[in-house]
Amino acid sequence: MPEFEWQFTLVLLTNGVMIGLMYGLIALGFVLIYKATDAINFAQGEFVMFAAFIAASAANAAGLSFWASAGLAILGMVVLGFGLERVVLRPMIGRPVIAVVMATIGLAAVLRGGAVLAFGAGVQAIEMPIPDEPINLGLVLLSPVQLTGAAVSIVFLAVFTWFFLKSRVGIAMRAVADGQQVAMAVGIDVRRYFALAWAMAGIVSALGGVVWGAMLGVDNQLALVGLKVFPVVILGGLDSVLGAVVGGLVVGVVENVAAGYLDPVVGGGTKDFAPYVLMILALMIRPEGLFGRRRIERV
Amino acid sequence: MFHREAGVFKTSYAADMALYPLPIARWAVAACAGLFIAVAPLTFGEYYLSLLNLCLVAIVGALGLNILLGYTGQISIGQGAFMSVGAYTAANLIVRLGLPFWITIPAGGLMAALIGILVGIPSLRIKGIYLAIATLAAQLIIEWTINHVHWISGGIQASIEIPRPSLFGHVLASEAEIYVFLMCFAVLAIVATLNLVRSRVGRAFIAVRDQDIAAEIIGINIFGYKLYAFAISSFYAGVAGALESYYLGIANYEQFQLDVSIDYLAMVIIGGLGSVLGSIFGAVFVTLLPIATRWALEASGGLFLTQANLADLVPHLRLVIFGGLIIFFLIVEPDGLARLWRNIRNYFRLWPFSY
Amino acid sequence: MHIPTTALAFMVGAAAWVGLAVTAPAQDKKIVIGVTCDRTGATQIVGTVLCPAQHDYFDYANANHLLDGYTIDHQEIETGYKVPPAVEAYQHQKQEGAIIMPIYGTPQTHALNERLEQDKIVATTPGFGIAASADGQKYPYLFPIAASYFSQGAAAVKFVKDQLGGSLKGKKIAYLYFDNPAGTEPIPVLKDLADLERFELRTFAVPPPGVELNAQVLDITQRYKADFVISHLFGKSPSVSIKEFKANGYPLTKVVGLVWASGEADILAAGGWGVAQGYNTMQFAGAGDDYPIRQDIKEMYKKNGKEPPAGMEATVYYNRGLFNAAIEVKALSNALELTHGQMPTGTDVKNGMEQIHDFTLGGLVPPLQITSEDHEGGGWVRIFRVKGNGFTPVTDWFNAYRDVVWQQVKAAEKTQ
Repeated sequence: MPEFEWQFTLVLLTNGVMIGLMYGLIALGFVLIYKATDAINFAQGEFVMFAAFIAASAANAAGLSFWASAGLAILGMVVLGFGLERVVLRPMIGRPVIAVVMATIGLAAVLRGGAVLAFGAGVQAIEMPIPDEPINLGLVLLSPVQLTGAAVSIVFLAVFTWFFLKSRVGIAMRAVADGQQVAMAVGIDVRRYFALAWAMAGIVSALGGVVWGAMLGVDNQLALVGLKVFPVVILGGLDSVLGAVVGGLVVGVVENVAAGYLDPVVGGGTKDFAPYVLMILALMIRPEGLFGRRRIERV
Repeated sequence: MFHREAGVFKTSYAADMALYPLPIARWAVAACAGLFIAVAPLTFGEYYLSLLNLCLVAIVGALGLNILLGYTGQISIGQGAFMSVGAYTAANLIVRLGLPFWITIPAGGLMAALIGILVGIPSLRIKGIYLAIATLAAQLIIEWTINHVHWISGGIQASIEIPRPSLFGHVLASEAEIYVFLMCFAVLAIVATLNLVRSRVGRAFIAVRDQDIAAEIIGINIFGYKLYAFAISSFYAGVAGALESYYLGIANYEQFQLDVSIDYLAMVIIGGLGSVLGSIFGAVFVTLLPIATRWALEASGGLFLTQANLADLVPHLRLVIFGGLIIFFLIVEPDGLARLWRNIRNYFRLWPFSY
Repeated sequence: MHIPTTALAFMVGAAAWVGLAVTAPAQDKKIVIGVTCDRTGATQIVGTVLCPAQHDYFDYANANHLLDGYTIDHQEIETGYKVPPAVEAYQHQKQEGAIIMPIYGTPQTHALNERLEQDKIVATTPGFGIAASADGQKYPYLFPIAASYFSQGAAAVKFVKDQLGGSLKGKKIAYLYFDNPAGTEPIPVLKDLADLERFELRTFAVPPPGVELNAQVLDITQRYKADFVISHLFGKSPSVSIKEFKANGYPLTKVVGLVWASGEADILAAGGWGVAQGYNTMQFAGAGDDYPIRQDIKEMYKKNGKEPPAGMEATVYYNRGLFNAAIEVKALSNALELTHGQMPTGTDVKNGMEQIHDFTLGGLVPPLQITSEDHEGGGWVRIFRVKGNGFTPVTDWFNAYRDVVWQQVKAAEKTQ
């Protein structure tokens, strides 16, 4: 094991926290959908990628400003969310979980192929109106893009927590998630809330897409960040907004520290599989995650 | 008129329990077997045989996944990883010890079965989507392990070149010979699965899928049967992986990544869960889909798109069609191609007197 | 049920339609070249530019009758950088009568190696493939025609040596690489050279898909504090690495990317020329627009009333496509000379390939010498640096440490 160096570890931790919060942004979209509609969205990464494509194409091909492109991306994803819920998810209500999972997997493939057909195959860049140079805090260097991503993530954590706890719409959504039949009996229009949940997930994906696209460049490989969503939500709890962000933090930090210290020992690649090992441990010990709700199966 | 069920009298228990009790079924199966086993290798062109070879490998893998998903109800996204375990085991045994194929292929399957049992252990505590995510993790971890443990992966290249299989000193080199080689394994797999699902074990699997708590109450050890299902399914996957490596001549971890697992899931779902014929249909369909897309586009698109544009479009279009078909089948015909086939067959049961 | 029957009818109809697709009737005096490409997979950033370039050159060759009396039929099949489609594509193109194939991808090369030898079809694998295939005696039908990863690694060390004042003793070199067989291939050569030139080498693996290399770059720049970085990344990771080095304040003039980390697309994806100033790139085909063949191809497009494609702007990968196609066409024309105008077989093409020397295509192609022993041609590369809005050459064509490289080639043959 390499020696424990304070500065190096501090840098790893800082990077881990920031990347982790950005993971949390993607996971928020996943949690929203699961919380409101009980559907596991395997296409979360593709949502982020598609949104990034919209923003990048608007900025590069149509020459719109950054804010206009971001706005267009948000709008586009809301429309996409409504549309997908109507066409793909509505017929799947009541079907077994494997069917919904496969439907989202199919959706992921359609989005991946469709994005290139619609937007072109090359890598595109998203220029954010923030400085390129890293911010030097003496011991650590902070990347402005990551800082923005982390900030957006925290803001939305706050917004969604308030939304689900205090606002009428949010409480109605929780009611729908708890028991569809009962919610309908009380007069809540379940279908409207499903659509709304997907649209909100679309908004979060759009923001995630803009930030991740700015960090990594936009092409159809961007969808692969979606694979990271699973350790994050399992650790945090599939239906917990706070869990998405906390899970993201844990995964981000574990990844970076593991990569920093274990990579020289095992020859690289720990970053990819450390979160999954953590996830399996979590599944064995506490499947509902840190903040999730315990599922009780009634016979 | 053809599908006559009346007038068939069985006079022994064996006849009653036969796989194909009706004469029409027996004739049909015999004709198919004759066509694919005897006629095809002698008459089909090499290119078409190579396509069939790819389908045969997929059939074995799809049957395995069907046993796990269709009959036992456990979602697994790790099929690709099990295939890679089988492939690398077989490859290492050939390259290091020079063992013949009838040892290496079962050995690959057994190794994959062991790993499958390990991966199935979480099923004691978690079900459904959590199990699916756990198998996803297993897929990624196994990928990483094979890529990094050079003892397994054959060094820095992580790909092992495999010589052609040889039988009694005769090397099976041509497409036709490989075809017969793969066909034997495919037939074994099909017959084994058909019998497995009619047996006690098969019924236990179905019980675990449908009402696992009730099954446990009447005395079926559901954890044991779940592990058994993982083991058998992984055995099939390991054999399929080894066969694919023999066919391609190389065991390379890039062949067995996550998208392969998703392809197999699609095969089983499009074909029809819980049906052997469905797995066969699904495997052929998903394997030939990219090739058929290319043919179709080349035939019609050549009119108004240049070669370069076509080449750009085809793979993305293939993804869109692939995903679209999955969604289409899930919404419209959740029981897959097998159900469509059964509908056709049912129509012919009374034909032409179907009023 | 209503719906499934119509769906069934649709599927039957589609199948019939596909089945009726008629392949073009075979015409004589047609040479088939079987092209495969990755336009959708991990290396699409390269394939989407390189493959159209090959088609452009073949069209140019046809338009200018470079092959006396024969036209080139160049069909492309997409593989997405996967092996099974590549094998199926090979079978299909073999059936069409291909006698030479520009293969795309290292695992594909491994898979098709034996088949190519059996079926006597020539394949070119410039800048990737099996490094040991430089040995023409062992791999008669595989032609790297450009610096293999072994040679690239060696040349990189030479460049670093020159940049660091002529001696590497005691210096620290970091090798940042994509964690797959292609990425790990140069390591034995680098280790040998580390012993020879007495520098410290440490390797940093980036797991596929290579979108996050935060920790590795951090380690290289802050903890290991490398004097120079040799970067062997491809796909998306080169652009991410440029951003990361920038973010950590590490000067890009101390980074040299091997051939697939070196395209305009990588620079643009990293945020543009401004971000990547000083980044050193290794090329095995000339970069930039300043070559007569490029002007000829633009003329060809204009003559057909079309604009030259936007892909030509990506000169690095485009020129490599031209390079690959040009060598193949030269081999074919040599083969035609050998057969006195008769339809060449694969073996004739192989012999034609082994006669290539002094074919520089206006500077786009290095001074290759392909012989029956050396299918690599000498392992020539050139370093270009990002300056202003383009690449400027920093060195001329050079190769390095050939004896070390050939040692490794022989050693690698034993394990294949």
